[in-house]
Amino acid sequence: MSKPSRKKPAKGASVVIDDELATFAADPELAAMFVSDGLEHLGTIEQTILKLEYAPNDLELVNDLFRPFHTIKGNAGVLGLRSIETFSHKLETLLDLARSGAHRIASAEIEVVLAAVDVLTTMVKDLPSRAAGQPVADQSAQCERILSAVDALIADETKSPTPTPIVVALQEPDPPAAAWLDEDATIRVSTRKLDALVDMVGELVIAQAILAENPALQRGNDDRLSRQLGQIRRITGDIQRDAMSMRMVPIRRTFQKLSRLVRDLGKKFDKPTNVVIVGEDTELDRKLVEQLTDPLMHMVRNTIDHGVEPQSVRAAAGKAEIAEIQLRAFHRGGGVVVEIADDGAGLDTQRIFERAVAQGLITDGTQMSAAEIHQLIFRPGFSTADQVTELSGRGVGMDVVRRNIQMLRGRIDIQTERGRGTTFSLRLPLTLAIVDGLVLSVGGDRFVIPTPAVQESLRPQPQQVHTTGGRPSMVQVRDRLIPLLHLGHAFGIQAAREEVSDGTVVIAEDNGRPVALVVDELLGKREVVIRSLGEMFRGVKGIAGGAILGDGRIGLILDTGGLLALAAATQAQQRTV
Amino acid sequence: MQTMAVAQRKSEPATTGGKFLTFALGREEYGLPVLKVREIIKVMDITHVPQVEAHVLGVINLRGKVIPVIDLRRKFGFEPQAPTERTCIIVAEVALTSSTVMMGIVVDTVSEVVNVSPAEIEQPPDFGGQRANDYLLGLAKVKGGVKILLDLDRVLGSDGQVAIRTV
Repeated sequence: MSKPSRKKPAKGASVVIDDELATFAADPELAAMFVSDGLEHLGTIEQTILKLEYAPNDLELVNDLFRPFHTIKGNAGVLGLRSIETFSHKLETLLDLARSGAHRIASAEIEVVLAAVDVLTTMVKDLPSRAAGQPVADQSAQCERILSAVDALIADETKSPTPTPIVVALQEPDPPAAAWLDEDATIRVSTRKLDALVDMVGELVIAQAILAENPALQRGNDDRLSRQLGQIRRITGDIQRDAMSMRMVPIRRTFQKLSRLVRDLGKKFDKPTNVVIVGEDTELDRKLVEQLTDPLMHMVRNTIDHGVEPQSVRAAAGKAEIAEIQLRAFHRGGGVVVEIADDGAGLDTQRIFERAVAQGLITDGTQMSAAEIHQLIFRPGFSTADQVTELSGRGVGMDVVRRNIQMLRGRIDIQTERGRGTTFSLRLPLTLAIVDGLVLSVGGDRFVIPTPAVQESLRPQPQQVHTTGGRPSMVQVRDRLIPLLHLGHAFGIQAAREEVSDGTVVIAEDNGRPVALVVDELLGKREVVIRSLGEMFRGVKGIAGGAILGDGRIGLILDTGGLLALAAATQAQQRTV
Repeated sequence: MQTMAVAQRKSEPATTGGKFLTFALGREEYGLPVLKVREIIKVMDITHVPQVEAHVLGVINLRGKVIPVIDLRRKFGFEPQAPTERTCIIVAEVALTSSTVMMGIVVDTVSEVVNVSPAEIEQPPDFGGQRANDYLLGLAKVKGGVKILLDLDRVLGSDGQVAIRTV
């Protein structure tokens, strides 16, 4: 069954590459499908092998492992991708022995399969570049190493057959996965087309709103007309919801990556950790998922490094020696919550406080609640690690994580209990394309500020406004003094109302720092579709993008972080004048 | 690359003719390669964007697309002028460093599409400096007048980077 006839791929690789790619390059559609299918299968394999690590005798899992390898091999064969076909075939041989009970899965097998998944992933990902004639890193040495390892394992086991393994767990069949694999029920559409559709639907929604706001229609008392308009509004809303839902993808792939990371890091740092995944079918906007992966990876790294104790410490504390990290995702209140929960040491409030003092982030003796102290880990420059490890401790990280999450218009909460573990909860919007915003007017211009950034708004009394050097600089709200930013001045809008007390103050927040924006009026709340202003305006401070408003004009979307920077610059300028 | 292109321009015009959309700024007539032009629209409400140079008027909503609008009068140092009923926005493709974007260009009035043969094109006069010549594809003598043929990527391409005033 095994074919030891693999011929010197190290030398012949580049020659093989070119002619084996003929079919692949000739049919871009088939090729793209092979790549995306292949990566999906490899993701499944990775996920399954991680489960298998904790239930090595579960033949059902081995079977689950065998099938995707078989599919990859078959598809590669059809496309004439011999390097992938031969490679998958060898892995398949090993797994075939395992599922028939002739070969027992142990840690060596798991290592080999994981290494093979990595190499195969690279090989599959490299295919388009290779087809385009670009040079890619040669994988043949890696392949060779893995293949000989597989050969050794097969040879070793066939000499000493093991007793029939026992199926341990009663595996519940996974109905969502089955539906997901039902190929007839899905078609592939390029994301470019989908994005264009969502944009066009956004336009439709806006056109409908413009129509509804038309004075000629609002004046009329034609019941039938308003019924028909209502009908159009409902249908438009439904179309929008459906179009949006097409861009939603389950968070499964991200969770798979994370569980692999937990496993690898746990192994490396001798902190064996089990991963429990809950709600991997929870759907988020594709773009959101993409941008979420890096911050989550970082948090998992931190959790293993700081959260999970060494085995000996866990044993001494009477805890299970194998730690557990839960990755959870669920919908709540029109948004999505993603949680990373460990059963490790929990945050050491006292130590965080001391480190923050030592690092000059706060002054000693500052009165802070435990929750406020925990938030210190998100400050730039903060680090509790006594020495820099490969994992973390350089004091860059959690602040970047929080920044990234805020850029996705989400926020992070921490629940922690000493000795019991820590849970990081990320609250995120369902989609990046639509934001709930307050529409503000300044002069004749309109702006939109995302509602999550707004704390409150008020019409200040003259005595609430404090001046420095004759200019209004702070507003007092209850016992807080908040720096003012006059949007009209900051953006050079001539027609803006001059007096702070004639206008409205919107208190916005970024990264825990508040700023009071002076605007003329609040025009109301509405959902808007966020659009980039394009490359040309990338450097504009305080503006995150544009939104098409009810009358078809564009309102600029405010970026609180940038506004804070502007406020700081203005105040510094005033001080020097 | 750039020096090569400039050197080439000194010896012969950078265009071999073709169809150009002509428009007026003050009393001068300009031409844009018609292949660059997407459409011509009436002046509409422009949303101003802060912190940009004066010739960048802001952004408009072109059927759901957000595109920047440039005032070519100000860009070329003419006296600014309030829009008249003849004022138009030419929507054209402009190549920036990393991508091609649509931009709106406000001009006094759009004239016509003219066919320019290679024989009608002259290289721009060499004033010693390169600044003005960099913008030009050449000068075309058509129908008794001179049309200034613009290299739009050079006129506006740099705006992709330098449009932001330092605050």
